[in-house]
Amino acid sequence: MDRRGFLKTSVLVGGTAIAGKKLNAQENQNSAEFVGILVDTTRCIGCRACEVACAEEHDMFVPDVVNDGAFEQVRKTSEKQWTVVNKFETEKGDVFVKKQCMHCYQAACAIACPTEAMKQTDHGPVIWRGNKCIGCRFCMVSCPFEMPKFEYDEWNPKLQKCTMCFERLEEGQKPACVSACPTDALMFGTRVKNLEIARHRIYSYPDQYVHHIYGEHEVGGTGYIYLSAVPFDQIGFRTDLGKKAYPEYTKEFLYAVPMILFGVPAFLLGLNALADASRSVPESEFTLEFDVDKEEKKR
Amino acid sequence: MDSFTYVNIFETKGLEYLLLLCFWVLFLYLIRYLSPTDNKPGKRQ
Amino acid sequence: MNRDVAITDSFGNLSRFLIQELKPRGPWLTPFNVISIPVILTGLGILVYRFIHGLGSVTNLTQETPWGLWMGFDVITGVALAGGAYVITFVVYVMGVDKYHGIVRATVLNGLLAYTFYGGALLIDLGRPWNAPNPYIGNSFGFSSVLFLICWHFLLYMVAEFVEFSPVIAEWLHLEKAKRVLKKLTIATVVLGITLSILHQSGLGALFLMAKPKIHPLWWSEFIPILFFVSSIYAGLAMIIVEGTISHRVFEKLIPAEHHHHFDDIVFGLAKGAAITMIVYYFFKALLFIHDKQWDLIVDGWGLWFLVEVIGFVLVPALMFAFGFKHRSLNIVKIAAVMALIGIILNRLNVSVIAFNWYADVHYFPSWQEYVVTFMVIFAELWVFRWFVTRMPVFSSEH
Repeated sequence: MDRRGFLKTSVLVGGTAIAGKKLNAQENQNSAEFVGILVDTTRCIGCRACEVACAEEHDMFVPDVVNDGAFEQVRKTSEKQWTVVNKFETEKGDVFVKKQCMHCYQAACAIACPTEAMKQTDHGPVIWRGNKCIGCRFCMVSCPFEMPKFEYDEWNPKLQKCTMCFERLEEGQKPACVSACPTDALMFGTRVKNLEIARHRIYSYPDQYVHHIYGEHEVGGTGYIYLSAVPFDQIGFRTDLGKKAYPEYTKEFLYAVPMILFGVPAFLLGLNALADASRSVPESEFTLEFDVDKEEKKR
Repeated sequence: MDSFTYVNIFETKGLEYLLLLCFWVLFLYLIRYLSPTDNKPGKRQ
Repeated sequence: MNRDVAITDSFGNLSRFLIQELKPRGPWLTPFNVISIPVILTGLGILVYRFIHGLGSVTNLTQETPWGLWMGFDVITGVALAGGAYVITFVVYVMGVDKYHGIVRATVLNGLLAYTFYGGALLIDLGRPWNAPNPYIGNSFGFSSVLFLICWHFLLYMVAEFVEFSPVIAEWLHLEKAKRVLKKLTIATVVLGITLSILHQSGLGALFLMAKPKIHPLWWSEFIPILFFVSSIYAGLAMIIVEGTISHRVFEKLIPAEHHHHFDDIVFGLAKGAAITMIVYYFFKALLFIHDKQWDLIVDGWGLWFLVEVIGFVLVPALMFAFGFKHRSLNIVKIAAVMALIGIILNRLNVSVIAFNWYADVHYFPSWQEYVVTFMVIFAELWVFRWFVTRMPVFSSEH
């Protein structure tokens, strides 16, 4: 190999190496950092200050946390309450668990929405926009956590779910529930930071926690992540949702759409030409047109 | 943190190929069964 | 009949003709009218109530079961049953099989009306239907959504079906020139219609891909789109047999004698196609069953229900189609067609409603209002179908 050839080759190789970093665009990290909330259920005392703060922030029904006896049953979030705290009796005593939209990092509801009314914002929180929503409820069908709630009793129904206080975040504030939490059971931060804190707690107190962070891998990673002292299926979490991000389930189908749209018509026209050509009888006998034309030809 | 257990995702491939064979045997039989040997439908044309 | 009225001369004549044609004909107190008119009126009343008081006031939908009978039957099942149009236009226009030419117009009309009314049923089910143009007008394209795709496909397919059917309308209006122009578009719209059908028939299955944790594993599969597409082929064929049989009885006088004669031949041809498609579909189900190692699941009630659907209403009618074809037994073929349709209805309802949230303590069951509105949609479609066939040359392409 002469010198010039060597130089050429090395430039080419070097060039490929630089370009190679960007080739697998999908595998690269998004530049915008996603935020989330870490819920440490071992710290939660069940005061339900988050429920009250949430209701006040979003002008909804404020529960009477002292007297309503809500812990007697396991509640779900509803179109009137974006977040609820439930009590579970476990081998390690009473455990309180806050529930709300998980803000999946690849949100099924946002992918499902035909009008982008459910929208994943740049930093992760998933919000709903009423002027776009057609009320098809496909987000509810798709959400693995059954979080979007529909106002069935309204003529002009909204879909209700936690927005991670998107408006507050834009003003640089923390979500209302996090600000209201007296025991730091809720911590707002970037996903990376929250995961570091969570792991640090598990490593530091290995006997206090199950060694699993719910939401780290579930459904491809969620904005809310949970720490617990007892296995998660004992405190009302589904552990059979898998690690695959839910939008991936429709990926193949949606990939196939443009291929079918240009492939099948071409194939059909080809078949049509073939069917025409393969006819041994004279064409006037077998016309694709309706029979009026046939009569006209005969005339 | 999460433990790993091996799952053979191709465990049923052998059975699937067996089913495929069954299908083709039955399907060819069905095609022969339906093929116009005696009374062809649409013979008029 | 006032066919011979010179209608193309002036607008006044045309409108007079249209008014004349819009008037009801025939006797009023037929059993069909007696049943359908109260149902349609009640349904309309329910709809008014629903738009004032919300969906929850007339349906049993819950936060866990957001799609009920209206979505599961009207839209998802109805579209599958309307699959006949794309299958028949494929066979007649693309493959050039003239044998089925006689049923093209009725089948395309059926497809067009089915989509119009099931598209309409989708509007009833939408919480905020006044935003329904949003996916079309471009201020919010949800490109990543399967439902977005289906919205567009419904619209485009309705246009394609309308163009396919339009020569008949032109014939009705005695617009010979327009008819000739419109017929030139037929092959293009047929190709477009088939492509769109492949995509939205499978797309209706793809709607449930992300509902994996909620659907009983016997009915969820990553191949739902393909299963929905394959089954829509034989659903369409069976529907043509059933619908054609009824039409030939009800509209006997409108159908030329040679068509009656022809129709038996056509039915046997359709039966053969249905038998083969259903066997393929059955083995598809079997393959998925083996691949997903689901033999543990068939021991309980759900498993039995699954076997009822797959063996009782797929394998059995498939064999009946084959047997009926071989032995030239119209009755067996017609029973098989009805069973195949029941199988399709079962399958679509199982995926979308029955096996959806199967683990719930209180399972969704449709309210009487939901049934009434469903029947209203079906009856309304039949009314319009009847209007078309009694006025336009739907059954007679030869004349």
